[in-house]
Amino acid sequence: MTLIRLIAALCLLALPVTAQEGAVQTVLQTHAADIAEPSRRTIQPVLDDLAASGLPAMPAFLEAWADRGVVQRDADGLFFFGERDGDVYILRSIEDGSDAGTVGRRDADQLRPNAGVRRLIATALVQFQLNDPDPDRRRAALDALTRNPTPDLLAPLRASIEGEEDRAIRQRKEALDRLITIRFGEDRTTRLAAIFWMADQVSLEARAALNAVLTTDTFVGQPPEDANVARSLQVGTDITPDQALALLAAEGILPEDVTRADRDAALVAAIDGDSVAGVPVSSLNTEDARWAAYATLAENGAARPRPPVNAVEILLAANPIVEIYDEPDAAITAAAAEALTQVEARVARAQAADLGLDALSLASIYFLAAIGLAITFGVMGVINMAHGEFIMIGAYTGYVVQLFVPDYTLSLIIALPLAFCTAAAAGVALERLVIRHLAHRPLETLLATFGISVALQQIFKNIFGTQAVPLTSPDWLAGAWTLNDVVGISYIRIAIFILALLFLALLVYILRRTRLGLEVRAVTQNPGMAASLGIDPDRVGMATFALGSGIAGVAGVAIGLFAQVTSEMGASYIVQSFMTVVVGGVGSVFGTLAGAGLIGGLQKGIEWLNPSNTLAAQTYMILFIILFIQFRPRGIVAQKGRFAQ
Amino acid sequence: MSDASPSLVRKYSGGAGAGPRSGPLILRPDVLIFLITLAALTIGATFLAEAGLISTAFVKTLGKTLCLCLAALAMDLVWGYTGILSLGHFAFFGIGGYAIGMWLMWDRTEGIVLDTLSRGPLPPTALEIEEQIGTQIFGVVGSSEVPWLWAFAGSLPIQLAFAVLVPGLIALIFGWLAFRSRVAGVYLSILTQAGTLALSLWLFQNDSGLRGNNGLSGLQNIPGLTDVPQSTLSLWFLWASAAALALAYLAAAWMVSGRFGSVLRGIRDDEARVRFLGYEVEHYKLAIFTVTAMACGIAGALYYPQAGIVNPAEIAPIASIYLAVWVAIGGRGRLYGAVIGAAVVSLASSWFTGGGAPDIELGFYTIQWTDWWLVLLGLSFVLVTLFAPKGLGGLVDLYTDRRAAKRNADLGPDAGALRKEEDA
Repeated sequence: MTLIRLIAALCLLALPVTAQEGAVQTVLQTHAADIAEPSRRTIQPVLDDLAASGLPAMPAFLEAWADRGVVQRDADGLFFFGERDGDVYILRSIEDGSDAGTVGRRDADQLRPNAGVRRLIATALVQFQLNDPDPDRRRAALDALTRNPTPDLLAPLRASIEGEEDRAIRQRKEALDRLITIRFGEDRTTRLAAIFWMADQVSLEARAALNAVLTTDTFVGQPPEDANVARSLQVGTDITPDQALALLAAEGILPEDVTRADRDAALVAAIDGDSVAGVPVSSLNTEDARWAAYATLAENGAARPRPPVNAVEILLAANPIVEIYDEPDAAITAAAAEALTQVEARVARAQAADLGLDALSLASIYFLAAIGLAITFGVMGVINMAHGEFIMIGAYTGYVVQLFVPDYTLSLIIALPLAFCTAAAAGVALERLVIRHLAHRPLETLLATFGISVALQQIFKNIFGTQAVPLTSPDWLAGAWTLNDVVGISYIRIAIFILALLFLALLVYILRRTRLGLEVRAVTQNPGMAASLGIDPDRVGMATFALGSGIAGVAGVAIGLFAQVTSEMGASYIVQSFMTVVVGGVGSVFGTLAGAGLIGGLQKGIEWLNPSNTLAAQTYMILFIILFIQFRPRGIVAQKGRFAQ
Repeated sequence: MSDASPSLVRKYSGGAGAGPRSGPLILRPDVLIFLITLAALTIGATFLAEAGLISTAFVKTLGKTLCLCLAALAMDLVWGYTGILSLGHFAFFGIGGYAIGMWLMWDRTEGIVLDTLSRGPLPPTALEIEEQIGTQIFGVVGSSEVPWLWAFAGSLPIQLAFAVLVPGLIALIFGWLAFRSRVAGVYLSILTQAGTLALSLWLFQNDSGLRGNNGLSGLQNIPGLTDVPQSTLSLWFLWASAAALALAYLAAAWMVSGRFGSVLRGIRDDEARVRFLGYEVEHYKLAIFTVTAMACGIAGALYYPQAGIVNPAEIAPIASIYLAVWVAIGGRGRLYGAVIGAAVVSLASSWFTGGGAPDIELGFYTIQWTDWWLVLLGLSFVLVTLFAPKGLGGLVDLYTDRRAAKRNADLGPDAGALRKEEDA
C-alpha cells in the first residue's frame, strides 16, 4: 500500500514537467478560478477574453466545456478533455486532443457549468463558428441559428457580417439578422424596418418569422387595458360552440359538463338492488332514460348536476373570448400582419408556379407514355394493351445496360437508343405475329394483346424477380433546379420534359415532312383509298408500330430514372395512357399533347386541392374524364377519317 | 358492311339457344344438358362431401367456381351476344360482395358487442351499441364513427337488395351516359376499365368508409348460423350457387332466344343497321348492361361469403379482363361456352398456382407452374383468339351440324371477325 502511494506521489510530481502548456492552456490558466467555478455574473469578461484570443482550438474547448467534457486536474490545476471511464478520467490534451494519460476519479474535478453559463458559452461558441474560416461550419452555425434564434446571438451575428467574404453566406447572415431583429430587435424602428424588408421575401423562414411575431393567446373574459387584442372570437363563426364550452370550462368559469361516461359511472355507483333512483335498471336501455335517472340522482344530491343548457350564452355574454398577441406593440403586429399577407400572396403565386411545373413534368411523362399508343391506334385502329410492357422493356433494357456499363452517363447514352430498338423489335414481333392476323377485330386485338401483356409481365418477373431493380441516373441529373424555397424541379424531370419536346418535334417532322408521314396520314384517313394509290398499309402499319413501341421503350428508360423499375410498372401507366389518348383524340400528335397536358394538369390540380389523398385525386380525375367524354366523345382533337362516324 | 340475313344470324348465334322459341325452353338440348350436368355435379359433390371424400375447402372452391360461372354468363350476354366489351363487370361482382359483406360483418360484430355490453351493470343503449360496433369494425382504419354507407348494414333484406340494386344503378347511370353519347367499341372498353380503376382506387382509401385495403373479412361466419359447421355451410352455399346459376342460365336462354336476343345479336353484328331498322339500340344496350350488372352483383353476393374476405384488389381492372378472358376461352356467343370457360380456367388456375401441377424439369431450368402459369394462360389466350375464336365451346360444334354453315356474317362481336374475305 505504501509503495502504491509512493508511486502515485512520484507520478504527481512528475506531471507538471511532462505536461506541455500550450496557448489555450495559458489563456485558460489566467482565468483558472473563474473557469473552474463559473457563475453567470462573472463569466462574460472571461468568455470575451477567450474569444479575443482567437485561438483555433478554442471552439472545441468551449463546446466540451458546455457539454461537461472538461476536467481540471487537482494536482496542477491544468484543464483537459476528460471522459469518465469507471474510476478514472481518460484525459486528452486541450490543445490538440492528443492522449494525455488518465487520472483517478478523485484526483480531478469535472467542470459543470450551470444552465445560465452554458447559454453564454453557446453564444460565444456561435461567435466563433460564425467567423470560422471553414464556410461549411459557418453555414452550419447559420442553420443552427435559423432553427433556434435567440436575442443574445444577434450581436455576434451582426459583428460577423462585416468580415464575411463569401457573398452567399453574407446574404444569409443579413437575412438572418433581419429575421432575428423582427422578433428581438432593440426598438420599434429597427423591427419595423426589418418587417418591411421581409414583406418582399418568398422564403419559408420569412413566413415563420412573421408568424412568430403574430402568435396569440386565447383569453377568456374582459381583456386588460393595455392588451394588444388581435380579434374577438364569435361563437359559431370563429370557434365552434364545443370549443367555447371547453375554453369556459378550462378557465373554471363553466362547471364541467357531465360526460356520458361520468353519468354511467354515477348510475352504476347508485345501483340499489334492481333500481337506480327509483327507476328499474332494466329500463335504462335508452340514452334519454339514463339522463332522466341521472337528473333524479342529481336532485337527490347523489350526483353533480348538469350545467343548464343555456349556461354557455349567459357566460359568454359576460366573458368574451378574445385572442391577444404575445407581442405588446400594436404597430409591430399590424405591420407584421400586413407583411405576412404580402408574403403569403407571393408564396401562393410561387406555389402555383411550382404546381404548374409539376403538372408540366407529369404531362410530359404521360405524353411520352401515350404517344406511341396514339399513333398505333390512329393508323391501325387497334388498342395495344401490351403497350405498358414496352415501357417496362425499355426500363429493363436500361437496367441491363447499366449492369455492363458502369459509367452512368455512358450507359444512359447507350440505353436510350437501345431501349428504342428493343421495344421497337418487340413491337414489330407483336404486330407481325398477332395483331396482323386480327385485322379489323379491335376488341379481339385488345384481348389478345392483353394476353401478351400478362405473359410478358410474368416472364420479366421470372427473370428479374419481383423486387424493383435500380436504374440510377448520372450525377449531373441528380440535383434539382430551385428558384426559391417554394419553386423547384429536379433535373430528371427537366430532362424528361426536354425528351418529350424532342419526340414531339421528331414526330411532327416525320408526319408532316417525310414520305412515311404522308403514307401514315393517308392510311389513317382512308386505308382502302391509300392502298389503291399504291401505299402498302401493312408496311405502314409495321413502321408506325415500330415507331410507337420504340418511343414507349425510351419513355421506359426515362420513367425508370425516377420511378421504380418493376415488372408491373407498365401496367400502372397503361390506364393513364389510354385516358390521354381518348381525351386527346385518337391518332393526333397534338391531341395527345393536349390530352397529356389536361390529364397531368388535372391530376396535379386535384392533388393540390386535396393533398392528403392521391388515391382520391385519381378517382376524381377518372370520373372527370368519363364526364368529359360525354361532351367530346372523339377527344379534344377530333379525328376525321377511318373512325369518324 | 356485312349482309347478315336473319337466318344466318340465327344459325351462327351459337348452340341450340338460338332462333325463335320452339317448344318449352327447358327441353332444349343445351339447357337440358346443362341443367342435368349441374344437378349431377351438385348432388355428386354433396354425397362425396358427406362421405368425407372431398374437403370443405374443395366444396367451397366448387361453390365459388359456380359463382364465377354466373358472372361469366352475364359477361357473355353483354359481350358475346351484344358486342359490348365491358371491362368493368367484375366491379359489379365486387360491389355485390361488399353489400352482403357489410351485413355479415355488422351483424356478427353486433352479436359480439351485445354479448360484451350485456355483461355490464346497465342495459346497453342503442348509441352505445353503435359506438362499440364502429370501434370494432373501423378501428383498423383509425376511426370509430360509422360511415353513412353503413346506415342500413344491420338489415339483411336491405343489404341483399343493395347487392342487386347498387350494381344495377351504377350500370344504369354509367351506361346511360356512355351509350347516349354513342361511346362504343374500344372506347367503351377503356371507359369501363377507367371506371373500374376509379372505383377500386376509391375503395383503397381508408376514409372511403369500407375499411380501405383491409376490405371486409370474416365473411364465412354467418350470423345466426354459428352453430352450423363450415362443412355444412359450404354445402348450403354450393346448392345456393348452383340454384342461382341454373336460374340465371334459364333466364339468359330465355332472353337470347326471343326477339330481344335477335336484336342483341343484330347490334353486335351491325349496330348501325339495327338502328336504321328503327330499333332503339341504346335502350337494348342499356337494358342488357344493367341486367348483367345485377346478375354479377348476385354472383358476388354468393361468392364472398364462401371466400371469406372481399377487398379492393378484387375489383381491380385486371379481374374484369380475366372475366372476358374466361368467356373468350370458353366461347363467346354461346351460354354454355361462358360457363365452361370460367370453370375450366378458374379451376386450372387454382390447380396450377396452388402447386397441384407437377414441375417440368428441362435439365437447364425447372418450370415451376406457380411462376409460369400466367405465361401459359396469357399465351394460350392469344392462341385461342388467333386460331380458335369459337373457344372451347367450338368443340361442341364438332358433334353437331353447326359448323356446316357457310358463313357470310361476322363470327365474333367485332365487325369482320373471322372472315377470309374483307368487304370493307
